[in-house]
Amino acid sequence: MRTAGIALTLAALVLVPRAADAQLSFDARRLGMGGVSLGRDGNARRYNPAYRAVKNLSGGGTGAPRITIPVPLGLYDFFREHPINQLTSDPAFNPDSAAFNPIELMNIVLNPPIFLDIRKPPTPTNNVEFTIGKNQLIMNLGQTRVLIPDHSFGFGTSGRLVDMGFGFGGFNLSVMGFVHYDLSFTLDSALRSVLKDTVPVRPDSSYFIITDAIAQTGLTPTLSYAGRIWRPATADSVPGQTGPNANADDGVYLGAAAHYYFGATYGRGVGPAGFTVGDPIFGNVPTVLFDGLVRTSNRPNGRGIGADVGIAWISGPFEVGIGANDIGAELTWSDTKIQRILYDPNGDSISTTMLSNHVETKTKLPISYIANAALRMGTGTTVGGDVFNAGRGTVIHVGAEQRWGPFAARGGVARDQRKKIQFGFGGGLRLGAFGLDVGIWTHSPSLSDQRAMTMATSISVY
Amino acid sequence: MKALATAALLVLVTGCGQGKAIFNVDIYSFMAGTGADTIPYVIAPASSGSVSTFSRVQLPPGFGSSVVDSVRITLGNANLMNSGGTGTVGFSIFFAPDSAGTMTAASALDIPPTTVSGSNTVPVAITGDLSPAIYSLFASDTLWMRIAATGNNPGVTPVTGTGVLTALVIRVVLQDKIL
Repeated sequence: MRTAGIALTLAALVLVPRAADAQLSFDARRLGMGGVSLGRDGNARRYNPAYRAVKNLSGGGTGAPRITIPVPLGLYDFFREHPINQLTSDPAFNPDSAAFNPIELMNIVLNPPIFLDIRKPPTPTNNVEFTIGKNQLIMNLGQTRVLIPDHSFGFGTSGRLVDMGFGFGGFNLSVMGFVHYDLSFTLDSALRSVLKDTVPVRPDSSYFIITDAIAQTGLTPTLSYAGRIWRPATADSVPGQTGPNANADDGVYLGAAAHYYFGATYGRGVGPAGFTVGDPIFGNVPTVLFDGLVRTSNRPNGRGIGADVGIAWISGPFEVGIGANDIGAELTWSDTKIQRILYDPNGDSISTTMLSNHVETKTKLPISYIANAALRMGTGTTVGGDVFNAGRGTVIHVGAEQRWGPFAARGGVARDQRKKIQFGFGGGLRLGAFGLDVGIWTHSPSLSDQRAMTMATSISVY
Repeated sequence: MKALATAALLVLVTGCGQGKAIFNVDIYSFMAGTGADTIPYVIAPASSGSVSTFSRVQLPPGFGSSVVDSVRITLGNANLMNSGGTGTVGFSIFFAPDSAGTMTAASALDIPPTTVSGSNTVPVAITGDLSPAIYSLFASDTLWMRIAATGNNPGVTPVTGTGVLTALVIRVVLQDKIL
């Protein structure tokens, strides 16, 4: 089991960075447009405070539905292959089974089979070859060498858990919970060369991964404002603009929020982990290399300030917005301890040494931002796009929707966090307050550079 | 060793899925200089005899669930450095989980006898597929190998010399069920 645990962990390290953008949404409309949201919901409202003053479009046209219910066709497929009453004995989930594959299991965890896989993410098919001698170790991973990351990799996010408050006018006073975690790994160049370039392991050398992990959470009382600061004089009287796309929303909207962060707890660990081989390589037992600096808060006393700002301009069929969160958000923790955790090869033990206690340290929250634009043409066509970054790489979505009465066709492209181009297309049928949508999109969530293709289905209630 | 095993697992995990794990183990490199790479022989007149050398073979851990596809000596060379007499010397290779077990195990590979005569050095190639009966041993991380030199002396003077191993690489192919 321990081996399986290690395997799963290692598999996660390889898989997670590639899965970060895997599950965009449960909305087949959005997935069919490559991930872009043409409405004023979701990311626009979350990351651009100005949009909190803009009415969400609903009830027609490109409006967002009140409720989107995913139709989980993928679950039927999954449980047909893995009967639910046999999951405990399913070879795919039993590490002692010859059919157990941690890569596939991690794929399931990171990409829940809600929707139907049209082309499943391929599991690596490859021969790996090792040349072992007393003073020689060469690893040839074949095609899977492409999976060894060239740069830092990891996963993390900065999110807000709750938002409770009250407001009047455009002002709002609330308390939000925040959480930020980030785990990144960097292979040192020697280890990367060994794994990726089939460079022989050199005697008397160290090979390691540098880990940098941080997690912090707390509460932030927030005073925010969102409102229309400029309204065109003709906003209510432009001929031909009626219905949900009317220009009643025209104007410039501004949003801003000031946060005072109360950090509850935080921890950060940085350091290398690996091994040092002897000379000759297999003549001596390799030495474990583990040397980490760990900073942790003694008390829930993180303090800091930060701000969100955003602006949106709506002019008839066109709108554009840009917003950023947690600007200048730096927390000062006045009571923290710094420890060194070191592996002692002589005693085969890990020692913890207090380097300093009751000292001040600082942490930052990553800045998140979004820029979005949409153009609603009078012919039933809507095009839009957004650029989004939640602290771990930029994602770009561009998509369009064409409506003909109750029918809709959609398409889009995206550049994911791995800078890989993905595609989406789909369609929908709306009858009254209900709509059925289908979206097909490509993604690269697994240990492969090949794209997988998934079909999402959802029912929308308008 | 834990670190190396972990590093190996990192590598191996990335190779999961359909495929094969191939190990080219240079066993000679572990034997060279230890004395295990030489087999002195003295065969009395009109008799036959056998001498052996033992070596432990170390493979990466974590292959207990694997199915061994094939095991082959892809590169093997020895020199029969005969110093006197005329006879034949052949080699047999045995594998077992422990050194004692190699004495009772069936041979995994037999190299036909080579004629030696006088003061001369005769090269011998040691290559070939090993018996499938011992494949399962290669799923473990440690096994023992015995190389036996079997001599026959039909003459009236003793046959003496030394068999010196100069290369021995075993290629183990595992069906990719590493964990």
